[in-house]
Amino acid sequence: MPKHYRPPGKKKEGNVAKYVTRSQAVKLLQVNLSTFRRLCILKGVFPREPKKKVKGNHHTYYHLKDIMFVKHDPLLEKFREMRTYDKKLKKAVAKKNKDLYERLRTRKPTYTLDRLILERYPKFADALRDLDDCLSMVHLFAALPALERENIEVKRIHNCRKLSHEWQAYIARTHKLRKVFISVKGIYYQAEVEGQKITWLTPHALQQVLPDDVDYNVMLTFLEFYETLVAFVNFKLYHSISVKYPPILDPQLEALAEELYALSRYLDANTRSSRPSGSNQVESQENEKQHDESDLRLAQLQHQLPHNEPGALMHLVEDAAGEDEEDEDTKECENLFKDMKFFLGREVPRESLLFVIPAFGGIVSWERDGAPFREADQSITHQIVDRPTQGHIFLSREYVQPQWIYDCVNARIILPTEGYLVGRVPPPHLSPFVDNEAEGYVPDYAETIKHLQAAASNEVLPMPGTVKEDLEDPQRLLVEGIIDRAEANEAAEKKRKMATLEKQYHDELKLELEGAQYSSSMINQNMESNAASGEAREKPVPDLQQIADDSANMSKIVMSRKKRRLLEAMEIGKKRKQANVDLLKERKKKSEAGQSSKEK
Amino acid sequence: MKKHEEEEKVYEEGARSYPEALNGGGSPVDSGSDYEDYSDDGDSEDYGSWEEDAESGEEGATGSGSDQDESEDGNSEEFELSEETQSGESDSQEHKGSVKTNNKGKLSNDHAQIDDGESEISESDRRAEESDSSEDEVPSRNTIGDVPLEWYRDEGHIGYDVKGKKIKKKERQDKLDAFLASADDSKNWRKIHDEYNDEVVELTKDETRLIRRLLKGKAPHSGFDPYPDYVDFFKWDDAKHPLSNAPEPKRRFIPSKWEAKKVAKYVRALREGLIKLDKPKEEPRFYNLWGDDPNSKDRAGHLAYIPAPKPKLPGHEESYNPSLEYIPTQEEINSYQLMYEEDRPKFIPRRYTSLKSVPAYENAVNDSFERCMDLYMSYRAWKKRLNIDPESLKPKLPSRKDLKPYPVTCYLEYRGHEGAVVSISTEASGQWIASGSADGTVRIWEVETGRCRGVWTIGEPVLCVSWNPLSELPILAIAAGQDVLLINTGMGNEEDQEKIKELLQVEISGTAGDSDEQPLVSWLQDDRHKHEAIILRHFKTVTSVEWHRKGDYLSTVTPAGESRAILIHQLSKKITQKIPFKLHGLPVSSVFHPSRSIFFVSTKKNIRVYDLLKHKLIKKLETGLREVSSIAIHPQGDNVIVGSREGKLCWFDMDLSSQPYKTLQCHSKDITNVAFHRSYPLFASCSDDCTAYVFHGMVYSDFNQNPLIVPLEILRGHVNSNGRGVLDCKFHPRQPWLFTAGADSVVRLYCH
Repeated sequence: MPKHYRPPGKKKEGNVAKYVTRSQAVKLLQVNLSTFRRLCILKGVFPREPKKKVKGNHHTYYHLKDIMFVKHDPLLEKFREMRTYDKKLKKAVAKKNKDLYERLRTRKPTYTLDRLILERYPKFADALRDLDDCLSMVHLFAALPALERENIEVKRIHNCRKLSHEWQAYIARTHKLRKVFISVKGIYYQAEVEGQKITWLTPHALQQVLPDDVDYNVMLTFLEFYETLVAFVNFKLYHSISVKYPPILDPQLEALAEELYALSRYLDANTRSSRPSGSNQVESQENEKQHDESDLRLAQLQHQLPHNEPGALMHLVEDAAGEDEEDEDTKECENLFKDMKFFLGREVPRESLLFVIPAFGGIVSWERDGAPFREADQSITHQIVDRPTQGHIFLSREYVQPQWIYDCVNARIILPTEGYLVGRVPPPHLSPFVDNEAEGYVPDYAETIKHLQAAASNEVLPMPGTVKEDLEDPQRLLVEGIIDRAEANEAAEKKRKMATLEKQYHDELKLELEGAQYSSSMINQNMESNAASGEAREKPVPDLQQIADDSANMSKIVMSRKKRRLLEAMEIGKKRKQANVDLLKERKKKSEAGQSSKEK
Repeated sequence: MKKHEEEEKVYEEGARSYPEALNGGGSPVDSGSDYEDYSDDGDSEDYGSWEEDAESGEEGATGSGSDQDESEDGNSEEFELSEETQSGESDSQEHKGSVKTNNKGKLSNDHAQIDDGESEISESDRRAEESDSSEDEVPSRNTIGDVPLEWYRDEGHIGYDVKGKKIKKKERQDKLDAFLASADDSKNWRKIHDEYNDEVVELTKDETRLIRRLLKGKAPHSGFDPYPDYVDFFKWDDAKHPLSNAPEPKRRFIPSKWEAKKVAKYVRALREGLIKLDKPKEEPRFYNLWGDDPNSKDRAGHLAYIPAPKPKLPGHEESYNPSLEYIPTQEEINSYQLMYEEDRPKFIPRRYTSLKSVPAYENAVNDSFERCMDLYMSYRAWKKRLNIDPESLKPKLPSRKDLKPYPVTCYLEYRGHEGAVVSISTEASGQWIASGSADGTVRIWEVETGRCRGVWTIGEPVLCVSWNPLSELPILAIAAGQDVLLINTGMGNEEDQEKIKELLQVEISGTAGDSDEQPLVSWLQDDRHKHEAIILRHFKTVTSVEWHRKGDYLSTVTPAGESRAILIHQLSKKITQKIPFKLHGLPVSSVFHPSRSIFFVSTKKNIRVYDLLKHKLIKKLETGLREVSSIAIHPQGDNVIVGSREGKLCWFDMDLSSQPYKTLQCHSKDITNVAFHRSYPLFASCSDDCTAYVFHGMVYSDFNQNPLIVPLEILRGHVNSNGRGVLDCKFHPRQPWLFTAGADSVVRLYCH
């Protein structure tokens, strides 16, 4: 019961007063269950677990404050209004009052969710934090077929598609994509926007099945909220790179279902035009470019972009000036596929690659109308192919499988293409979300990639090191004026000494550690030798394992029960993890053995 | 032929007769009904039946026959059909001169099937045309009547003629012939096999035209105009008189009240803004909701928002192309079936060699739905995740090296017993130990050499041995069965021996107690052994014997003794007395306080502490254990350790509380005995799991500091026999050495 309406004899405080069951809540709000569900979903109200479940274990409990929060929302009134409106409409139809019906039909009560979004996510960062589910859902619905029976309208599917493309275009444009993983369930992407890691799942671009055992009403309510949220987030993001939202797309590309490409072009054009010109570019070039861009923009706005050489146009707007606020990571991502030109075969997942490759600085085209350049283009460096054999081969480019792109992206280096060539079974695709060391098992290929990464960074790393030293010496020269070689020598000597001392200390420590472990056994042996007085000695020397166990046990004895249980639980967890790792190792050993026997 | 012409006439009549009919007072609709009737007959009723015919091929006849209500009609119509064809032909003579005779013999059923699409419609249409011309009946060739044709399927005839002769069926053309015929004759498609009359009918051009028109949805005859211009039959202009002479009603020329009301209502609604005529303005749906201010207001006034946990990120095994070791073998997958459903892995990794071959994930929508359900249906709460190093949980203990000396390794073994060594006891000087065994012997060993100095055979399994704590009185108390033997071990110098001998003399008369009462214990002189000995005969089995520190008193415990369970014997006076307290529960053991006249009695659950001088219960220690097995007192007397049968060891600080200060779960099996060292801060416990633990137990004189307990060493070496391990442990009185007695009939000495 709410505080201001508490009948006499009801509890004022405690779990009874604080929590209500769902049916109580529904009664209190005077709505039906489905409306209650909608309200809960839209308001983000979830059940809370009371310490004591007063009404029993099989009820769902809501906090009374949450329910009052819902009760005071204008949305509740709006839903009631819609209900009455439906009744009116029905009545008008039943009475054959066409006039009224027509008039009513144009006055359908509507509601907006922007207030709710602001209420739920007062800061933009909050919205970004909760964006994972939104994006996954929007991407899923973008791939679903419309179904009249379940109220999944074509309009919404298109909207989802649009939103997902807008999001992807932003991520690709700002090079915020960090990790990509192709799983059986779909493709996982992870981007980092304003310090928030956002992971979303897109299904594979195939016909999805709509199961019957799913309540689509619930999903659509969620989707309603998510669509709005993603749209507002997109607005904010586009706003941040000074691009108009919603974007206006090239209708020709739109007709060819190349929304993503169209969007990226739109973004490029807009950001370029809005950026103040003042870099070290040649002025004439600049002017020309700007002219071009304004042309392009104009054309776009008027929906009459001529479709000649879009690739050239794209190339014009492509090279981006260095952005100061970009962090190290983004720069790295931006330059991964720099100076590479990709061409996608028909059979590769185009949408995904069109998103990923530009996000990492590559230029990409595909085999269809509206593509920026043709297959015969000589400057193409890589062609992405996913077929057992490739008929016609251009010698100037490499033919790789799509997994190469994803692996490169995750490793952040250009991997050698040997394993990924056409017709080969590619090396295992590993999840970038796993911390191999923490997991306790490092797959072979992860090891290989690590070596490659080390090699790649070594090529680069020694350079700054030497440069620094070089820099340091002249500095000292300048400051001190005279090169005090003796002093330098002394310092070096000191350092060396310190190092040796440190090493010694470490060794000692190590010895001590070992000694502590093995002291008992050593004493044991001594005693044994001392006490060799002709007595029968069948007693086995306690092995090291035993001693280690004992010492582990020792401290366990003194622990309190609570801590001991905790420790035991941890140990069980550890053991389980270890068992998993062992299983993997065993399987690996088996498969290796199988392979070697086969080779023989 | 005549008929047809007549019909034509009727058409024309119908068309022309509209005005007449209207003039006659009928409405144009009425006149139209004539036409409707005409089309109804043929189209709606017969068409259906005929269609069926054609479809069902040979059996089709049954279809037509089965229309019972128009049995006669059907017959006659069939007949007409053939007739009509001829008439149609003759009709069409003007268009085409050639008249074709029906070559009945040639055509076959098959042919009809070949172009049945054509024929079916054409026939039905023809019927439609002739349906209401049922007056002129040309008898059909078939005389079987209105019976299903199927009945005559196997017969060679289709009825009888007037003379009573069978009307024979014609020979059937086979498919090849039909095909050849169709190939030869380009007009062959016009030929239709009339099933009923068993003859071939050829459609004329006119007929086909008719059919085509019908197919297009036009009227069958080209001359017919379905939408003639309306000619009004009533003309007012020229009339002299009005139709009615009634005056014009008032309502015709005054404005309507109701209309005015309605208008007023609308006007009001418009004024009040209830009806808006202009379309609602389209506002931009999206705007910069959060503004550019990064630190905008917080969510206030509500309960704390708990963000939903993020979905789990996929591991290597979910990859479309995981490394081989992530893929379970077929046996493993099969073994999942044996698991409980909740334990079964939800996802079985699979490997696809190319990205192209990855299928759509069938549970995508379900997974998303599950997530939705989780988001709005499941409880959310902040849970503290312990991200701590397990090592940090372990208490910081002082290094064991600093706590030396303590017994570490087995130094000596004393072998000689044949049964399990149940009890051992060290002599006050620490030179000797006595051990009592289940084989009924008691042995005395020299500690440092392991030499067996003497053996007494008691006869019954020994349960407890105990040296007198005074070094000048080397008397050994042995509990075996119902007896407690006090044996002079014969150690010590002459003076001591004499004293002992004196002590161990019992007058026969002094059998203690009054004559009328049953004595608690009978003091008897034992002559069996070469040394002097006293037997204290109890009435039940004695399990433990404990000496008072002064060596004059000793207490015995007989668990089954009820009120006489715990007795205190005085050696010098040869007296036995009960303790003046009520015991609650079965007694397990009893101990004297090491310095004061305090007596500890442990029952199975609790320890009771009595003051012997004041005859008062001082304290009750609640162990919380299931079954206490042994008890030992710290030499300073303020701390007690209790061992239990569940392997737990309790340390009580008597000053602190009656609850255990610390409970250590160290042994996996029953603790058989616990012991304190007399001078070193050591204590030990031994158990049936064949181990003995040595602990450091430092008690500080400072009251503010709690005792420090550090486990030091696990001593192993004894072997399990009959499920029993180490049965007793005792410290050396001066050295940090531990003696353990095992069920494997060995006594061991552990030294530092």
